[in-house]
Amino acid sequence: MPLSPNPFCMKGIKMKQRLTQLTLLLLVTILILTGCTPANQATPTDAIEAPETTLPEEELTEEATGPAGRFTIQADADLPPALTVLYAACFPDELPVFVDAEADLLVTTATQDDAFSLSYLPATFLPDTVLIPQSDSFDAAYFIAFAVSPAGQQVLIDIGALPPTVTLTDQAGNTVEIDQPVRRVISTYGPATAIVYSVDAESRLASASYLGARDELGAAAMERIDPRFQDLIGDDNFSQDDFNLEEAANLDPDLIITSARTAWLDTVGELEIPFFLYDAETPERLKEAVLLTGQLFGPNSTAQAEAWVNYYDWVYASILEQTQDLPEEERPRVLFTGTAPTRVASGDMYQTSLIEIAGGISASAELTGYWNDVNLEQIAAWDPDVIIVPPYGGATVGAITENPDWQILDAVQAGRVYQMPKLVVPWDTPAPDSVLGIIWLTQRLFPDVVTLDCAEQAQYFYYTYYDYPISADEIDTICAVD
Amino acid sequence: MTPSALSTDPTQSFKRTITGVTLVALPVVLFMLALMLGRYPIGPVDVGKALLSPLFPDLAADIPDVARQLVLRIRLPRALAALLIGASFGGTGTAFQAIFKNPLVDSNILGVTSGAGFGAALALLLLRDTWQVQLFAFAFGLLAVFLAFFGSRLYKSTPLLILTLMGILIGSLFGSLTAMLKYLADPLDTLPAITFWLLGSLTAITWQKLSALAIITIVGLVFLWLVRWRLNILSLGDDEAKALGVNPARMKLWIIICSTLITSAAVSVSGVIGWVGLVIPHAGRILVGPDHKRLMPASIALGAAFMILIDNIARTLLPGEVPLGVLTGLIGVPILILLLRRNRTGW
Repeated sequence: MPLSPNPFCMKGIKMKQRLTQLTLLLLVTILILTGCTPANQATPTDAIEAPETTLPEEELTEEATGPAGRFTIQADADLPPALTVLYAACFPDELPVFVDAEADLLVTTATQDDAFSLSYLPATFLPDTVLIPQSDSFDAAYFIAFAVSPAGQQVLIDIGALPPTVTLTDQAGNTVEIDQPVRRVISTYGPATAIVYSVDAESRLASASYLGARDELGAAAMERIDPRFQDLIGDDNFSQDDFNLEEAANLDPDLIITSARTAWLDTVGELEIPFFLYDAETPERLKEAVLLTGQLFGPNSTAQAEAWVNYYDWVYASILEQTQDLPEEERPRVLFTGTAPTRVASGDMYQTSLIEIAGGISASAELTGYWNDVNLEQIAAWDPDVIIVPPYGGATVGAITENPDWQILDAVQAGRVYQMPKLVVPWDTPAPDSVLGIIWLTQRLFPDVVTLDCAEQAQYFYYTYYDYPISADEIDTICAVD
Repeated sequence: MTPSALSTDPTQSFKRTITGVTLVALPVVLFMLALMLGRYPIGPVDVGKALLSPLFPDLAADIPDVARQLVLRIRLPRALAALLIGASFGGTGTAFQAIFKNPLVDSNILGVTSGAGFGAALALLLLRDTWQVQLFAFAFGLLAVFLAFFGSRLYKSTPLLILTLMGILIGSLFGSLTAMLKYLADPLDTLPAITFWLLGSLTAITWQKLSALAIITIVGLVFLWLVRWRLNILSLGDDEAKALGVNPARMKLWIIICSTLITSAAVSVSGVIGWVGLVIPHAGRILVGPDHKRLMPASIALGAAFMILIDNIARTLLPGEVPLGVLTGLIGVPILILLLRRNRTGW
């Protein structure tokens, strides 16, 4: 099958011809990228940024190694055929150069990395097979970005290395068959959008509804995380209650992701666009949601999702190890309040799991359903040791601590009323960020017992799962212990 | 039979005494119960000690401070608020049914509740402070009735009918405006607050709010109490009233102003609680007959008793607050059907 030229490869040709005009070339490339068909929006952002930092060195390497190849590849035994096709699709009519050692690019079986240290996860272009750059070669970085892009995925599907469709069961129990690769997604559900970002598939979003991005700080952080944020934000057209069919058709999506508790599912069924439903109110369901999202977007996102689940499990195990021997009477009773002080989380909600994982006891676990309105007397009867207010809906610590009636509670007297942090997504919602909510809450409940550090882990989390180097100021604000 | 004919019968007279004592005792007993019931277990003796503790601080030395504070700061104002709100619904419902000569109206007929609901929703959407919510609800409740009243002045014929019609129209207008606000509200945040308010609850009551409610309600109810015999005349018709030396138009205006003030004050604290003002006067008629001299106090007592009964259930049935608007119908309708079965009476 003839392969149409794509922006990655056109860029490569021009580069070879005009090595001396690199700055001009970069401008041309950006023009081409922005002027092309929608699929080209899927270019990973780090691939666009790559030339600025690596070009001068690449110039030197090319001169030193000569015209034999753009970069060398060291690959495991069965991989060269697939790599050759992929290479030819990226750099038309060119062949890769395979070597046995000291290659620019290492292609090998993925190994489980449980260090959770500050690093990008390697690009996984086939299941359990990763591309690891060994030098600063720009073309190698470009090839890696191409290999995990929808275009690269399409090449691998065409040669049968990846399946043309995936069949998944969503969290409402529907079996959905989805054509691969998924290029244009509408997410109408904030937690689902957060999951898409954390499995490194945000470039596939055509429109998204965000959690926590409506306030100034959240929107500012979101703009730093994703330059496309302002163009993607779709809350006016798509939400759990509303779905603007005309706007959706304009965006030409090939997948819609939303909550299982969505009001408009019947109408959208008419569009014959597959949709995928989320319902993650427990840690297990959240892990499932992240893994399923990974599988929607291919091997790289799957690997990213698995890495997150490993991280979540590791955090859980670390905390459990340190708190499991605490006797019942040393475990604080924690009350999780909502947008009003007397609106509290029920036992069915993710917030209850959060408290339990952190080693506390949920004061309002006997309630069922969603948020419950209770009275102060009921809260006094529960007698919580700690009260958590959420970072949304105008809830503040002051609304509780400055209310004279609430002074009857020991938690208020002792000053143990805290606000759950957030960067964009509130840390108490069933989204990947909630792993930090667990760590933060554990630190609040057992400052002398637990060794996991909110600041350290937030830095790792945002760097690895949002590709966002969070600033020291942001961390200080978020993890502040007052 | 006229009321005076009834009173000559000794068995009737005895019955009336029993009914009177029951009507006075019912709210008092339920009020005492309200102070003892709650999700936080406090024994009756401790409740008594807590109540007396502002006068004799030594008494409360052996009970936990939480219990004392709960009784004084939470249960007492809430029980008093339930009494006042129920009384004002019962009283205004009786007054409106008399002056409109219609047993199917209550003080909401002129749109006060719809207006208050809109005001509260607006404040919840824009301001969020509980004091402002109460103020907005009160102000918009009055505004709705004001609009209905002056709207009806545009027409010269059969003012009562036009007034009823304008009340219904203004009520629907504010209903639509409230629906629009609910549509605009954030579904995760302000919408639940608006919905909860519209269903009615006394959770947020404080001494501060109670004081404003108490002043307006007590003054208003005293006025209705004093004019109760005139309701008999007004319910006969305008010509008869004039013949008996009462200016019907002016009297009605005063009763509407007074009823609207206290209904608006009640609704601004409790949220939308329909139904009570409509039905309590019927229960009153079943028990004491149609004479407003006796019906007005009976309705006030029954309304107070019913409201505090409902609120006791709302507070204690489940860990979560059950909205009052849900319970009034669920509990009130069976009670009323039972009363209707046992008695027959004209309105």
